This record gives sequence, structure tokens and C-alpha cells, in this order.
Amino acid sequence: MKTSYLFPHRLKTISGILFVLSFIMFVSFYAFDQYGHFEYKAKVFAIIGNDGFLGDNDFFGWIENSILDEILATFVIVSGIVFAFAKEKYEDEMVQSIRLHSLAWATIANYGILLLCYLFVYGLPFLNVLMGAMFSHLLIFIVLFRYKMYRFNTTRQDEE
Amino acid sequence: MKNNLKVQRAIHNLTQQDLAERVNVSRQTINALEAGKYVPSTVLALKLAKLFEKTVDDIFELEATD
Repeated sequence: MKTSYLFPHRLKTISGILFVLSFIMFVSFYAFDQYGHFEYKAKVFAIIGNDGFLGDNDFFGWIENSILDEILATFVIVSGIVFAFAKEKYEDEMVQSIRLHSLAWATIANYGILLLCYLFVYGLPFLNVLMGAMFSHLLIFIVLFRYKMYRFNTTRQDEE
Repeated sequence: MKNNLKVQRAIHNLTQQDLAERVNVSRQTINALEAGKYVPSTVLALKLAKLFEKTVDDIFELEATD
């Protein structure tokens, strides 16, 4: 059986390294850079844009924005998707079943956590929940799938 | 689902790795099959049967719980 929706195996290592690096940078950017030390302002095209926190929205216009987080988020999402859905070295039907299983569990776990956060986090801290929710599904899936693949690859040979 | 892959493999004097290579799956998959932890697709079951020159029924057998 051929699966066509997966990325080639050769992209796995490089996207894995990029994902880990950009994810750490993205998290530390939001954790430590509260005061905008690392700003890189640029004119960006916005479908819906807003220069400040309040004020009117601009539609389909050019606005000024610090784009470091956009760059990091692009790296996290693109490398994350490629890493999560790259072919394994020995891609066979059991790997596919493990992948599907992990994806199902990651979705259930992610929405379970989201529901708990929705019910028990209120006010401005909820923005952090929304921020995390953008990447949590992908992250949970990657961790779960890698763990299951690790277990799968290290199963001992019972006998020859 | 039960199977007697291990027996068939012994008769043909193949290692798990050999068998895996013949049917294009990983060694771990054969291992999981023999341990009864994984039910193969129809394609893989037919490939295994063809390799051992048996029918699928000779290798795989339904259990009461299936």
C-alpha cells in the first residue's frame, strides 16, 4: 500500500532539528521578551490589522508590526508539520497504524486539556491558553508518536 | 486473530528479519504479528501466505473474540 500524503524521509532529521530549535526560541520569546527587546519592525500586509491593543481595525491594508514572532511561528508550524508527517525509515502498515493511533489520542488529549482550561481559566490568562492551543495538538502528537515509535523500534527480538 | 507465523518461519528456516525483507515490512512488524499484537492488512496476509505457499486460512485463524 502506498501512502502519498507523507513527506519524504530525508526531510525528517532537518525538520526535527528546526522544529526543536524554533519551538524553544518561540517559547522563550514569549516567556522572556515581555518588553520588546528583540523587535524587528516591518510593514506587513494585513487582512485584518490593528496597530495597538485597542482602536479601529484596518481591513486589507498595510500596517507596521514586529515580525519576529511571525517568523518564528512560521518555522515552528512548517517544520513541525513536516517532522510530524515525514515518512519513517521503514514505512509499513504497522507504522501507519501507530501514526493513526497517536493522532487520535493526541486529538482527544489536546481537546481534553483545552476543555479543562476553558472551564477553569478566566480573564487575561486565557490568552495564554489560546496561544498554547495553536501548537499543543501538533506538539502532543509529535511527542506521542515519537514515544510510540521509540517503543516500537526497541522491541526485543523474541527468538530467531 | 491467531496465527502460526512462527511455525511457518521455522519450517522455511527464516529469521524475522529475512521474512520482513521478503514481504517489505519492518522486523518489528513481524515481531508484533507473531506476538499477536497486530492484525495485518489483507494485502500483507496474502503476501505471507503466498511466500509460504499456503492459503491465508492455513496461517491465520479467527478466535472466539473476533
